Amino acid sequence: MSAALDQAAEERAESIRMIRDSAAGLAPRGGDRKRIRALRFEAPGFDAGVLRQMGEQGWIGLRVPEERGGAGLGMSEFCAVAEELGAALAPEPLVGAALSARLLSAVGAEAPLARLLSGEALVLTAWQEAAGRLDVPGTADAPRLFIGQAGGAEAFLVPVREGDGLSLRLQPRAGADLTLEKTQDGGFFGTLRPSGGESLGTVAVAEVEDALDEAALGTAAYLLGVADQAFTVTLDYLRTRQQFGKPIGSFQALQHRAADLKIQLALTRASIESAAATLDREGSPRAARRAAVSRAKARASDTAMLVTKQSIQLHGGIGYTDEADISLYLRKTMVLFNQFGPAALHRRRFAAEAREEEA
Amino acid sequence: MSQSAEMSSAGTNWDALSDEEFRAEVRRFVESEYPAELRNPQHRLHWEQGQAWFEKVKAKGWVAPGWPRELGGMGLSAAKQIILIEEYERHGVARLPDHGVIMLGPLLIRFGTEAQRSRFLPRILAGEDIWCQGYSEPGAGSDLASLRTEAVLDGDHYVVNGQKIWTTLATDANWIFCLVRTDKTAKKQEGISFLLIDMKTPGVTVRPIINLGLHDEFCEVFFDNVRVPRENLVGQPNKGWSMAKALLGFERIFLGSPRQSGYALGRLKNLAERMGVFDEPDFQERYTRLRLDLEDHKALYETYVAILRRGESLGPDVSMLKLHQAELFQRITEVMMDIAGENAGLLEPMGGNRDLHPSGQFIEARPTTIYGGSSEIQRGILAKNVLELPG
Repeated sequence: MSAALDQAAEERAESIRMIRDSAAGLAPRGGDRKRIRALRFEAPGFDAGVLRQMGEQGWIGLRVPEERGGAGLGMSEFCAVAEELGAALAPEPLVGAALSARLLSAVGAEAPLARLLSGEALVLTAWQEAAGRLDVPGTADAPRLFIGQAGGAEAFLVPVREGDGLSLRLQPRAGADLTLEKTQDGGFFGTLRPSGGESLGTVAVAEVEDALDEAALGTAAYLLGVADQAFTVTLDYLRTRQQFGKPIGSFQALQHRAADLKIQLALTRASIESAAATLDREGSPRAARRAAVSRAKARASDTAMLVTKQSIQLHGGIGYTDEADISLYLRKTMVLFNQFGPAALHRRRFAAEAREEEA
Repeated sequence: MSQSAEMSSAGTNWDALSDEEFRAEVRRFVESEYPAELRNPQHRLHWEQGQAWFEKVKAKGWVAPGWPRELGGMGLSAAKQIILIEEYERHGVARLPDHGVIMLGPLLIRFGTEAQRSRFLPRILAGEDIWCQGYSEPGAGSDLASLRTEAVLDGDHYVVNGQKIWTTLATDANWIFCLVRTDKTAKKQEGISFLLIDMKTPGVTVRPIINLGLHDEFCEVFFDNVRVPRENLVGQPNKGWSMAKALLGFERIFLGSPRQSGYALGRLKNLAERMGVFDEPDFQERYTRLRLDLEDHKALYETYVAILRRGESLGPDVSMLKLHQAELFQRITEVMMDIAGENAGLLEPMGGNRDLHPSGQFIEARPTTIYGGSSEIQRGILAKNVLELPG
């Protein structure tokens, strides 16, 4: 019995390793900074061809059941992919696309789902009505804010309150009232003023909330990748940059700081892996799942901000230039760390969910 | 501005006014003359952007607050200079390229020859020479004394070769004051001289560096066999390090001024109100903590101002001021980022309102713990030179 369990765990670990390797293959860590820079500040802010490759790899539909055309894999696999994309600073909106895929799958919208899963036609979910929030009021005519990389979408999925549930309306990009604002990482936030659109079906509010939780955890994993790679680059700098006749990494003040950052990175990885496992475990109570996601996202947001800020400081003057790649990690963090709930929101939510679970 | 008005203004003994009168005068001046579109700019102004304002300041005779009156300055006491800074800050008056006034002028007044003073000081006051500072090099940042740009005497000229970096607004400047190595055999602090270089000399090249704020405030300056007349050396050869160090205390009190943090705290309040969190207990706790940090910082700052007011010089403990200001400024902008939600990621100010630009303020605060002696260097100074710990 125990041997069978061990074998299952081993197989699972192997599957996560494989998917991580394939993500690193498409988006190598510390790899193609030229590509990242070339895509900055030019709409849509990412490469549609690369997003299509991600679709072909099955990542957009990673969480979609196999009978709906997805890969039917777990959050552990999804987080592995997201982390690698973060380490590579990939600007393609995989987390946003996966969120829409999960919702299109929930209402059985086969045609748009198939085109989204293949990476041909990006659908982004326009759910957010206020900054720094993770709830979905579904107000019919309220502007939908902070739609990441909206300039590359073919359509938007707009949740609109209908009775106890949320009706998912598909609104084509063509003719939509959409404005784009540049973000610090070179991408774009879209604001959509919803109008019309075809209702694809209605889902429970909890269904949308759970999908957003997966996006939050995916974002946490992406942030871990960003922070981990920034740390790697910074350690290299500490080993090679010479001042006062020796590598600056030989100064104890900087050694201790690096050690402190490592502790936060280790806590973040453990938190994300345990949250993913909680979501993947059948029968986990909903309060436990939500608490786990909040714990991981709060930690990842804080860690990514701490590590990327300190990476600039430890690079000194060169860290404050745009041409030094280390700045790209801070800029990415500035855009992502508050997405799908800032750390403070998640800490409050953790407290509430943990109380419920204990009750 | 007519010649006579200029004369009468420049002849005024501003230091003779009471503090209250002087404050009112500064307030009147900036409110009536400062261009509204230049209030609180997001980036350091280039010379041409600020030139119209410079002409007003020049006409008023206020270009050089700290210089003695007989050399064309305002002859202000330290206390009145603080009032000037406070009122400029309150009104959102931008810093002009001011290395000539703040750094070079005081150096020439103290260490220069009569010929150097009469040649260079009037041109700074007239806005004819714009100076930049060539200290740091790619291999000499925190370890500034290891600088390698060298000046070799060849007849009546020094021949300069090397590279400077983090040269603020070098593209605007026509002169640069540099620390250069004139003796490679001496101990590293003892082979350094202070040299004034005309940037139009053949062999000088400037390359702007785009910073994290996507602005071209910093530059690299390259020197390729640049011939500099011998009379452009300030003070004694190989004594440049101690002269430059004499100015660092002033730089640190300038960088330790509460202006950046004070401005940022005001923007934090604007942002909190806009985000609807100002009255939340969580926010109030964090905000009040920062407010008290700022109040205490101001109180500490005042004690250093008082030292200057008594005509005494600043010790190495002034590092505390620079260090605390920089880190307080950063903490304030970090709270902005926390409460802004996704707005924290926007490149431009929210809704085009420059008062609501958390990401811009956050980025602006980043280099304050790096430039003017990093926080790591300042902590080292405190540990070794103030606390006299071993090692």
